[in-house]
Amino acid sequence: MKRGTKPEPISHEEREWAAGLENLGRQVSFYGTALRSSAKALTGYKKEVLRLLGEMSLGTGALAVVGGTVVVTCLLTFAVGGIVGVQGYNNMDDIGVSSMAAVFASVIDTRIIAPAIAGIGIVATLGAGTTAELGARRVSEEIDALEVMAVRPVAFLVSTRIIAGVLVVIPLFLLATMASYWSSELWVKLFYGQSGGVYDHYFNRFLVPLDIVMAGVSTLVATALAMLIHTYYGYHATGGPAGVGEAVGKSVRSSMVVVLFVDVAMALALFGNFQTFHISG
Amino acid sequence: MTVKVDGVAREVGGFYAMALDTERATFRWPFQWREFVTQFWRIAAVSIGPCIGLMLGFSFFTALTFDLLMVELGAPDVAGVAAAVSVIENLGPIISVLVIGGAGATAICADLGARTIREEISALEVLGIDPIYRLVVPRVVATTVLSVLLMGLGNMFGLAAFYSVAVFFHGATPGGFVENLTLVVGASQMVLATAKAVVFGHIAGLMGCYLGLNVKGGSKGVGEAVNQTVIYSFVALFFFNVLLSAIWFEAVPG
Repeated sequence: MKRGTKPEPISHEEREWAAGLENLGRQVSFYGTALRSSAKALTGYKKEVLRLLGEMSLGTGALAVVGGTVVVTCLLTFAVGGIVGVQGYNNMDDIGVSSMAAVFASVIDTRIIAPAIAGIGIVATLGAGTTAELGARRVSEEIDALEVMAVRPVAFLVSTRIIAGVLVVIPLFLLATMASYWSSELWVKLFYGQSGGVYDHYFNRFLVPLDIVMAGVSTLVATALAMLIHTYYGYHATGGPAGVGEAVGKSVRSSMVVVLFVDVAMALALFGNFQTFHISG
Repeated sequence: MTVKVDGVAREVGGFYAMALDTERATFRWPFQWREFVTQFWRIAAVSIGPCIGLMLGFSFFTALTFDLLMVELGAPDVAGVAAAVSVIENLGPIISVLVIGGAGATAICADLGARTIREEISALEVLGIDPIYRLVVPRVVATTVLSVLLMGLGNMFGLAAFYSVAVFFHGATPGGFVENLTLVVGASQMVLATAKAVVFGHIAGLMGCYLGLNVKGGSKGVGEAVNQTVIYSFVALFFFNVLLSAIWFEAVPG
């Protein structure tokens, strides 16, 4: 800068950019701490991890009334699996091959519905619940109290929840996949009256068992990222009860998008490169 | 167990009562235009980003899977059909569920919940102002209108995503893609999707308002209410999605 010229004042936009960058940096460093503390959480707070595992799968409070995370996630995939069945049957029927309706179930349910919808179900139940709980603890100064008692709050509250979330996802994902299969099958067989043998034949022909494993891997990665986001927003909630509500809303918005982008990236990496459909031989 | 069932019945009943009050108050004159515009803008501000993000994610995801199938069948141009069926008939309504339930309704619930905790709602009632007429109606109307508009925006991005995957990655011809768009999906499917968006927006708005106005117990209560909004609205709206599709397929052949 030339001597004698006044330095330009920082504009409003620049300030916003700086704040955004700072926020991003803070998030990343929080994620680093949370992941580094997971060893401590596994060795030191094993009981807490187990307790959270139970709480997350069956839910607490109002969530437990409707059957917990398991039931909610399975309901969502069941509903969408039904659409796949109805849509698949009708579209295949339009071009005169309604007997191939099962192809939709074995391909679309496995590759798209199960990872995407189960991921979103998990965000809505596990994730949002975690944000609400951590946020309430932050606002009522329980987290500060933990620090005063010389308990590492990130290891005790955040890492344990991430570990429990990742562990609970595997059976949850498998149940959600089953629910989507059942629902597609139910609609096509019972509602449209297709014979069971035809459906089962095409379903088994087009189902690639390895796809289920890969969809599971992508759901696992997506959930781990979503749990990081949810714990971040909960842990850093400010501004009383209103702030907790805001934090839950914000975390749901951002982690839903992240889950889908992880699914896309994983789909590109896992399904994009090699051909698993063998129709024309 | 009886206590549990009693509680659930009470909640459902309360929700219906509020929904009825809201429908009645919607046609009360004068309509709260100022609150409507403010809320419309607020909900749009939190929903547009997730709507575009979710739609792009879902469409790329679906397009990749479908196009592999189409290329294997030797008909990459038919990707246009897949695009129209996926985006207009299925992804559009589902994205509007996720965005209106996950983004819009949560924002409403957090806002109204905070007001309930601070006893602002009770203060309104003391002043003789009906919170349903003043606060709930503009929000519910805003989510209903916004849901339709968001679905249109999302559909645009979804079709663009399908187009770019099919044309740039899998070698479909642009003309073939566009021509096939309207092969299976026509005006009637568009009407169904729009009707779904209206219903979803309406129900999600009502749920956000109901749970926000009935928050109990401190900061944990608000967080839990927002969490419940996400869960209940997703479950209810996914259920309605299947129901409306099934009714439509039966009522409108072809």
